[in-house]
Amino acid sequence: MDLRASERRTALAAAAALALAALLSPTPAEAASCCGGGGGGAAVLPKNAAALLDLAADWERYDGAWDQGGAWIPDPPGVELAQYRLSLSGGVRLGSDWQLGASLPYVWNSNLYPGRQVHSDGIGDSSLSLWWEASDERTAWRLATAADWLPSVKLGLALTLPTGISPYDDVSDSLLITGRGFYRGDLNLMVDKAYRAWSASLSAGYGVHLERQVNRYYGRYVEPYTRKAGNRANVSGSLGYRHFIGTGGNSLAFTAALAWLSEADGTIDGAADATSGMRKTSLTGTLTWAGTDEDWSARLSWNHSIQRDGWGEGFPTTDIFTLGVRRAFR
Amino acid sequence: MPSAEPRSTPGVRWPVRHLPGRPGPAPRRAAALAATLGLLLAAPALAGCGGMLDDLFPSGADHRPVVEAGSEGPAVGQVAPDFTLSDTLGNPVSLYATLQAAPGAVLYFNMWCDVCLGHLAEMSQTVVPTYPDVPVLAIDYVMGSVAASRATQLAYGWDSPDFQFLVDPDGRWMEFYTAPMAVVVVGADHVIRLNGEYDWARVEAALAALPRPGSAP
Repeated sequence: MDLRASERRTALAAAAALALAALLSPTPAEAASCCGGGGGGAAVLPKNAAALLDLAADWERYDGAWDQGGAWIPDPPGVELAQYRLSLSGGVRLGSDWQLGASLPYVWNSNLYPGRQVHSDGIGDSSLSLWWEASDERTAWRLATAADWLPSVKLGLALTLPTGISPYDDVSDSLLITGRGFYRGDLNLMVDKAYRAWSASLSAGYGVHLERQVNRYYGRYVEPYTRKAGNRANVSGSLGYRHFIGTGGNSLAFTAALAWLSEADGTIDGAADATSGMRKTSLTGTLTWAGTDEDWSARLSWNHSIQRDGWGEGFPTTDIFTLGVRRAFR
Repeated sequence: MPSAEPRSTPGVRWPVRHLPGRPGPAPRRAAALAATLGLLLAAPALAGCGGMLDDLFPSGADHRPVVEAGSEGPAVGQVAPDFTLSDTLGNPVSLYATLQAAPGAVLYFNMWCDVCLGHLAEMSQTVVPTYPDVPVLAIDYVMGSVAASRATQLAYGWDSPDFQFLVDPDGRWMEFYTAPMAVVVVGADHVIRLNGEYDWARVEAALAALPRPGSAP
């Protein structure tokens, strides 16, 4: 087999995986230093990797919010809200088509209001994932037959663990929280396809929060009740272009992604909480450098919520800047 | 146009490069597996170290302390102390004076976040029309001054007669009630009926149970 062709094919497959990473890394829905918490990203192994480690630093800057009616409103003057996250993710191949991942974020909140300044930090909500690679794309070099168009398909299960600090913990202020306080199970689908320098991916997921008991709210014991966050659905699509740098095989890829996320109303004691649903639309641009053999990659991304009426509901609008480094092991 | 197109054979794995002198895949994979498993174990362990296990192992046990009737404090059954705060027009508003003319009052501790705005919007559609005799005091505990709070109120379009917007400039009363983005219902007898997460059903139950002229004691 032509080794160079093989390596380039591997590189393109890895490019698609990196596009997925770009899609998944800036978790666009979890963070909210006032009322949400911080979640980690995802670690998805490319086909040729046996394991990987990923370290990502996020700076999430808050700038306004969509109200429950979908109108965008700016932050009041003098308000500066930010959340910083450092997420360590790992993934390991369990078999030829199975992989296990975990992500653990650490969160710093910076909340500056004219009348209240609060800085806090703590572990965020962590996550576990199990992926099954249902099918691999056959070729990234030709589109001559129908089979050549087949993308790679991954199906995954994910579990979010409420390891962060939530309103239901022993904490006295909403500005201190780093997690939501709910277990969540997600069923995820990833589809990606590369063709020469181009790659495209589609990601979709549906998550169910588990109902939980609550006997404390912001540190004070209350009459017990049950609480459940709403089920959530997300769809993301991305398009990437990869440019090989020089003749050494290093590459630079740019990926643009559009993500949509919706969370239904939660419940309190089984009754709908009409104030808790949310919807968010965001754009992400990612620049990824990858070494010749794809063992190392680094990425810089910017996730931006669209600050216009109708592009979201009941959620802060933010910009998330991410710097990540990934090491894949073969 | 690439000169050599790799053949694709379903089921055939790509070659794994294993250069002489480099560790083979097994130790690296084991190391990565260990790291991944380490992450799995580290999360709950770190959460536990921080004393934050309530979320991992939620409890429905009722741990509310028994309160002494007539004692002053933030808990349900205790007496709410009086306060006087400025509204966003600069007028002083006293809790006890407010309660002299109403069967109770709803205190909502507001930080102008999207969740808070959702709560205010729902209260304007539920509490205000259903219980017009109960004033809602929306207490801003983050903007720090009457001027800043008023500017925010106007910017957000909440210049509404439905609520009295008050300013808690140093957050003292939010801290007293430990009620960020939360609701407190106080009866005309100054006894606290509810203090917790905003939930219209529980707010309504507390308001419906307030003694009113002509109602059974």
